[in-house]
Amino acid sequence: MDHEFPDRLKYTSTHEWIRIEDSTATVGITDYAQHQLGDIVFVELPEVSMVFEKGSNAVEIESVKAVGDLIMPLSGEIIGVNQNLADNPELLNSSPFIDGWIIKIKYSHASEIDELLSAENYKQLIQNEEH
Amino acid sequence: MSNKPNNIKKTALYETHLKHGARMVNFAGWYMPVQYESILKEHEAVRSHAGIFDISHMGEFFLEGKDVIKFLQYIMINDLNLLEPSKGQYSCMCYENGTVVDDLVYYEETPERFRMIVNASNIEKDFQWLSDHMGALDVKITNLSTKRSRIALQGPKVDENLQPLVDVDLSQINRFYFAHCNLKGNPIFIARTGYTGERGFEISFENKFAEKIWNELLNTGANPAGLGARDSLRLEACYSLYGHEISDTITPVEAGLSWLVKPKEGIDYIGKDELMKQKTEGTKRTIVGLNLIDKGIIRENYKIFKSGNEIGFVTSGGYSPTLKKTIGLGLVKKQYSEVGTEFEIEIRNKFLRGKIVATPFYRNV
Repeated sequence: MDHEFPDRLKYTSTHEWIRIEDSTATVGITDYAQHQLGDIVFVELPEVSMVFEKGSNAVEIESVKAVGDLIMPLSGEIIGVNQNLADNPELLNSSPFIDGWIIKIKYSHASEIDELLSAENYKQLIQNEEH
Repeated sequence: MSNKPNNIKKTALYETHLKHGARMVNFAGWYMPVQYESILKEHEAVRSHAGIFDISHMGEFFLEGKDVIKFLQYIMINDLNLLEPSKGQYSCMCYENGTVVDDLVYYEETPERFRMIVNASNIEKDFQWLSDHMGALDVKITNLSTKRSRIALQGPKVDENLQPLVDVDLSQINRFYFAHCNLKGNPIFIARTGYTGERGFEISFENKFAEKIWNELLNTGANPAGLGARDSLRLEACYSLYGHEISDTITPVEAGLSWLVKPKEGIDYIGKDELMKQKTEGTKRTIVGLNLIDKGIIRENYKIFKSGNEIGFVTSGGYSPTLKKTIGLGLVKKQYSEVGTEFEIEIRNKFLRGKIVATPFYRNV
């Protein structure tokens, strides 16, 4: 199965992508993750200004068949959520890296960025998972 | 994913599914397609025109002998007197306490030869149960599950699409009746039955014809559909699924299948005393339809509350592609089962409001 892995993004082993811009990060789920979940029909978004530790469940994502989570890739505060997903959860399937972004966070520990995966490392991980 | 036992069985259409890009899962010991491209699209294809499902994982037995009807009258809760040759009947086999061994359909080929289609997950249990209760009756049971393949064709366009391929007049096959015919020269058993809430057929044939028949059906414009769509379709139509609405802890009467429990005057059958009692006196709990008032998706086993007290649990739940909202079935205490009753469902430590609604959610048969 071919999936997209944009080079400019960082990734996690739990299938989130992260775009770092100055002190903020935009987070979504990867093409591989949306494909694994199948048709996404509901996204439960957090409130802006909520604070999460890295590794905690910030967003519940329900597909026809399964329940998935967005796991916080970095500790920090939610400064924006993609409200379009409330009425159009299928954007996570059709455009996981652009229109399907999920949350923006103001991260609190810059050092955690070093623990994220590069596109190359994430791609390797997926290939191992598929075999 | 890491632990793949190598004894998982493959249907005759396994390679065909892979060619269509199916995502295969282990279902009841079989590699089965859960979806091809999208469960939503496959669901919609069945509702709007036609879908084809590989259901070869299901069990297919033949029961033969002079005492077959007598035996089935003893082991089934439905009444064989309502059956005739060329007709099938939906029924359950139950334990003495009224809970369910399996739900199934049997077809009367002749009064001494019956075809039986059972749930994939119960094949061994059912075969054993049937064998154990034959006693001295003249009945021989054969398990042809892995020698034959089965396909369900479901949707409003199925009759029109299929007719040019077969040498039988499909309009003459009424609901639950069957025929034997040829599909482009390949011999098939064809019954007007299904599990989607749409018109359609289920066909059975020898494994060697599987790929050819599948491709012929594809050429009529039918979409391949997987187990994911099969489940969302049957949930909209409110057909019971073994292990969910009926099981070895839930009786047919509790599941709203009282109509299956027949008095069969003068005939003793397994579970009769308890089931007839439940049918006349009622049960303490019952299966109801569920909708959510708040936004969210309900899933199997979520707990249902009324004013803080647990009143039941979700037996099946999910998103309805046809109605574009959350639907479910739940087993609740009788006093809370009235349509319109509001309740709360616990979802990951939060409580969402819902209400009991009439069923089925959707049926077009």
